[in-house]
Amino acid sequence: MKPRWRKIFHDLIDNKARTLLVVFSIAVGVFSIGVIAGSYQYISNDMSASYAMNRPANVELRTTNFDDSVLSSIRNRRNVADAEARRVFNMRVRTPGSDRWTTLDMVAFESFEDNSINLLVPVAGKAIPAKREVLLEKSALRDLAVDVGGLLEFELPDGSTKIMPVVGFVQDTAAGAGDFLASPSGYITLDTLPYLAQPKLYNRMFVTVAGDGDDPSYIREVGAAVKDSMEKSDVIALRSRIAETHRHPLADIVNAVLGILLALGILIVFLSSSLISNTLSALLNQHLRHIGVIKLIGGQRRQVFLMYFALIMAFGVLALLIAVPFGGIGAYQLSLFIADKLDFTLLGYRLLPLPFFIQIAVGLLVPLISGLAPVVAGSRVTVLRALSGDVADDGKPVSSAGEKRLSWFDWIQVKATRVLAARGLHVPRPFVISLRNTFRRKSRLALTLFTLTMGGAIFIAVFNVRVTLHDYIGRIENYFRADVTLDFDQAYRIQEIERVLKKVDGVTQVEGWQFMGGELMDANGNVVENIALLAPPSNSELVQPILVDGRWLRSDDIRKMTVSEGLRKSFPNLQAGDFVNMRVNGRNEIWQIVGIFKFVDQEGMIGYAPFEYISKINRQANRAFSYRVVTERHDRPYQDAKAEELDKYMRDRGFKVRIAQAGSASLDTAVESLDILVTFLLIMAILTAIVGAMGLTGTMGMNVLERTREIGITRAIGADDRAVMRTVIAEGVVIGLISFGLAVILSIPFTYLLSMIVSVAIFQTPISVVFTYLGYAIWLALVLTLSTVASIVPARNAARMTIREVLAYE
Amino acid sequence: MMTVQTLNQRLIELRDVKKIYSTAAGDFVALKGVNLQIGAGEFLGVVGKSGAGKSTLLNMITGVDRLTRGEVIVNNGEAVSIHAMAEDEISRWRGRNLGVIFQSFKLLPMLTLVENITLSMDLCGNFSPKRSRQRALELLRLVEIEEHADKLPALISGGQQQRVAIARALANDPPILVADEPTGSLDSVTADHIFDLFQRLVMEQGKTIVMVTHDQSLAARFSRTLSIIDGEVGEFPPQTDVKSEDEAVAPPKWRFPWRRRK
Ligand SMILES: Nc1ncnc2c1ncn2[C@@H]1O[C@H](COP(=O)(O)OP(=O)(O)OP(=O)(O)O)[C@@H](O)[C@H]1O
Ligand SMILES: [Mg+2]
Repeated sequence: MKPRWRKIFHDLIDNKARTLLVVFSIAVGVFSIGVIAGSYQYISNDMSASYAMNRPANVELRTTNFDDSVLSSIRNRRNVADAEARRVFNMRVRTPGSDRWTTLDMVAFESFEDNSINLLVPVAGKAIPAKREVLLEKSALRDLAVDVGGLLEFELPDGSTKIMPVVGFVQDTAAGAGDFLASPSGYITLDTLPYLAQPKLYNRMFVTVAGDGDDPSYIREVGAAVKDSMEKSDVIALRSRIAETHRHPLADIVNAVLGILLALGILIVFLSSSLISNTLSALLNQHLRHIGVIKLIGGQRRQVFLMYFALIMAFGVLALLIAVPFGGIGAYQLSLFIADKLDFTLLGYRLLPLPFFIQIAVGLLVPLISGLAPVVAGSRVTVLRALSGDVADDGKPVSSAGEKRLSWFDWIQVKATRVLAARGLHVPRPFVISLRNTFRRKSRLALTLFTLTMGGAIFIAVFNVRVTLHDYIGRIENYFRADVTLDFDQAYRIQEIERVLKKVDGVTQVEGWQFMGGELMDANGNVVENIALLAPPSNSELVQPILVDGRWLRSDDIRKMTVSEGLRKSFPNLQAGDFVNMRVNGRNEIWQIVGIFKFVDQEGMIGYAPFEYISKINRQANRAFSYRVVTERHDRPYQDAKAEELDKYMRDRGFKVRIAQAGSASLDTAVESLDILVTFLLIMAILTAIVGAMGLTGTMGMNVLERTREIGITRAIGADDRAVMRTVIAEGVVIGLISFGLAVILSIPFTYLLSMIVSVAIFQTPISVVFTYLGYAIWLALVLTLSTVASIVPARNAARMTIREVLAYE
Repeated sequence: MMTVQTLNQRLIELRDVKKIYSTAAGDFVALKGVNLQIGAGEFLGVVGKSGAGKSTLLNMITGVDRLTRGEVIVNNGEAVSIHAMAEDEISRWRGRNLGVIFQSFKLLPMLTLVENITLSMDLCGNFSPKRSRQRALELLRLVEIEEHADKLPALISGGQQQRVAIARALANDPPILVADEPTGSLDSVTADHIFDLFQRLVMEQGKTIVMVTHDQSLAARFSRTLSIIDGEVGEFPPQTDVKSEDEAVAPPKWRFPWRRRK
C-alpha cells in the first residue's frame, strides 16, 4: 500500500471512537431514510396490489331477492368479467351464557369453492364451512370472545335461538366497505339459510368489470347497465356502490401516512445531511495539521483532496454496510405494523431497488457533498495555517481575525459578567469558559444547532400533529353525544318509547331518529356516491356539527340536507346552496345542500336531514326505528352498563331490540382509522427522536473529541477532572438549550405543514391545529439528558489522558 | 550592505522582501525590506531575539507564507520566483527542492518512521515504491536510527523524532534544507548531535542549509551568521564598523566547489 493510503487506512482504524462516531452519524441518517423510503414503497405498492389480489367487486348492489337465473344472466353480460351473488342479513349473536348481544352481518355464499370476487383469506381453522357452521371475519373478535370450535347463539326474528359452531376465521378486505357503521361479518352456506329462517335467495350482487377496473366512470356505466337489466327481472336495486380495483377503502388514510412519510423523509434527508456535514467538518478540522505536513513535504492540493475523498468514501461505505440491512428490516417492520392496522397484507420482505439506491446515494453523496466544502477548504488552506492548527472560526486565521479585539459576543459576555459581579453575582468560571467555547467556532455551532433544531422541530411537530388529530377525534364525538343508541327491528311510536324509557333510572332524555339511504348522481344520471342520511329532530342537541359552509337543519327544510365534506372528493366544487340529483326510494329527486360539515368519512358518506321531513317520506310520522337516549352520567363504563340494561329492559317489555350500545361506540369505528394515524405519528416521533438523539450525541462527541488536546492542556495547567467535566457538560447543555429555543420556533411551521398534509389527505380542508406542551417537554428533557451524556463520555476520556498523550494527539 | 555574488553562487536571493501582518489592531511590519543572497553550499545561521522576524524570514524562503512585497528567487538550475507560483506549484517545487524542519517534528503519528519518509517520496513521485523504502532506510541509517525504522513516532524520543524529520526533509534529495530552531526543544547533548548531522550534510553532501537558532554559542559553527533585529537583517555579531563587502560575502573555506550545481 502506498504510504498515503496507509495514512488514510490508519485514520480509519486507529481512532476507533471517532470513526464510529462518523460512521454512526451517517448510518443513522441512511437508516432512517431507508425506513421511510422502504415503508413508502411497501405501503404504496403492496396495499393496492394485495387489495387487488382479493379481486374486489367493482360494483356492489343491494337488491330485493333474486335467484340463480338472474345471476347467470348478469354473468353472461358483456362488460361483466365475473359476478357473484350472496345473501346478507343481520343477526344478533352472543356466546352462549353471556348477556351481551352483538350484531353480525350474516353472509350466505353461493359457493365458497368458486369464490372469485371479494375473496376471503383464511386466517385460522377451516376456510369453508359446512351446513350449520359459521366462519367469522377476524374483526368480529373485537366483540365476541370465541375461538375456532367455539359455539355461538343466534337469535331468530321470532326470538328463538339457534346454536352453530365457529369453524374458522377469515379476513375479508371488502367487509364493511362503503358502509359506515357496518357490523362484523359471519359467513355461511346457502344450505344453512333455512336453519336461520331465511329464504334461499340472494339480495346482493357483486360484479367485476371486463376492461379498466380503475376507471370510475366506466365502472359506473357497467353498474347502471347491470342495474337496468336486473330491474327488468323485477329485482330492485336499493343501493349501489362502485369501487376501483386498486383503491383500498382506506386509501385516504394511507395517503396521509404516505404524505407524512414523504415530508419526514425530506426533512430527515436535511437532518442527516447536516449531521453528516457537521461530523465531517469536525473531522477535517482535526486533520488540518496532517494536511499541513503533507503539503509541507510536497503534497499537492489534488493529492490531499483525493486522500480525504477516499476517507469519506470509506466512512460512507461502512455506514451503508450497517444502515442498509437495518433500514430494510425497519421499513418492513413499520410497514407490517401499518398493514396489520389497516388490514392488508404485504407481498413479503424483499430488497426494494428504489430505497436501496436512495440509501446508497444518501450514504455516499451526502457525505461527499457535505465533506466537499471542508475537504476543499482543507486542501486549500495554506501550509502555515494548517501547521499552526489554529484555524478558528470559518477558517480565518486567528491572527488576521484579530484575537486582539474581543468579538461582540465576548464583549457582551465580559460586560455582563462584570455587571453581575458588581451586584455580587459571580458567574462560575467554568461556565464562562463553556460559553466562550460554544461561541468560538461559529460555523460549527451553526451546524450543530441546525442539526439539533431540525431534529427537535420535527419531533415537536409530529407530536403536535398527533395531538391535533386526537383533538379532532374528540370533536367528532360531538356527532355522537347520545349516551345510548337503541335500534329496533321495527318502528315504534316515539311517545311510547319515550314514556317507557323515561321510567328507567338515570334516563333524562329520549330522541327518535330516522334514516334514509340515497344515491347521489352525476349529470348523466350515473350513481356517484351513496349517502346515508341521518334524520334527528331539527332542534336536536345531540349533534353538534363542525360546519365548514352553510347552516345546520331547520324544521321546515324540504329536500334539503347537510353533507359531510368528504363529498367534495366526488363533487369537487360543492358548496352550500348547490343542488344535486339524488335517487331516493327509487325516485330521482333534486335536493339542495344547505350545509357542509366535517367528519371522518372512511367508509361511505353521511349527511343529515331533519326528522320532520324524512319521517314524512318514510311514511313513519311520529315513529322511529332508532333512538338516542341521554343519561345522567356520560362516562363510557356507565354508558355501556346502561346500554345493556336498556336492552334487557325493552326486550322484557316485548320490544324488538336490534342493538343497544353506548352512543360513542359508533365513534370508535369512525375514528379507528384516525387512531391508527395517531399511533403511526407516535412511531415517527420516536424515530425522529432517535435520529435527533444520535445526532446530538455524535455532534457533541465530535465537538469534545476535537478539543481533546485543549482539554488536556487545561488539565495540565491545574484544572481538576471535575472542573474539566463541568466545562464540557455546561457547553453541551448551553448548545442543547439554544437548539431547543430554535426548535420551538421552527416547530410551528413544521406543525402546520404536517397537519396540512394529513388533513388534506383525509379531509378536504385543514383542521385546526392544536399545540401541546408535551412534545416540547419531552424534547427538552431529551436534549438536556443527551447533551449531558454525550458530553460526559468524551470529556471523561479527555480528562483521563496523560499530558503526553494529549500533546501527541493530532 | 550586502553585495551581489556571482550568479552561479547565488542559490537563493531575497529582493526587498517585506512582510506585513495586518491585524485588527493595525498593521505590523515583520520584515522591513530584506535583501539577502545565500550561496550554494552555505550553512547559514539566523539568530535574533524572539519576535525579531526569524521564522517569518524562513517562511518567505520556503513559501509556506506569502510575502507582502518583493521577491524570492531560487536558482537551482533554473531560476524560479517562489511567490510568483500558485500554492500548489510551490508545494510540488518544495517537495523536490527544499526540505523543511521545524522545532516540533510534525511527523504523522499514525505512520511508522519509514512510512513518514516514504510518504514524501510517494507524494512527489520521484522514486518507485520499492526504491522509496530502500532509500528511506538509507536515510534513517544516515541519521542513525535505522533500528527503529518500523516504530511509530510516539515510541521514540524527541531527539530521535527530530532525526526522522531531518531524514524526511532529505527524502527527495533536495539541495536546500531550511530549519526553524530544530534543536530548540532538545537537551544540549542531543542538540549537539543534530547540529553535527547538519554540518555533515553540508560538508559531505553539499547541501545548503538555512537554520534559525536561539543559541548564540552555535554562531561560530555556521559558515555565516545573520542577525535579525526588528525585521531588519544584519551580520552577526552586530557590527558597528562596516566591513569590506568582499569579506562579508566571502565563501566559507570548507565549501566543496565540486558539489556546486549547474
Ligand atoms: N500571523 C501573524 N499575525 C500577526 N503578527 C505576527 C504573525 N506572525 C508573526 N507575527 C509577528 O511578527 C513578528 C515576527 O514574528 P516571528 O515569528 O517571525 O518571530 P521569531 O523571530 O521567529 O520569534 P521566535 O524566536 O519567538 O520564534 C512578531 O512580533 C510576531 O508578533
Ligand atoms: Mg520563530
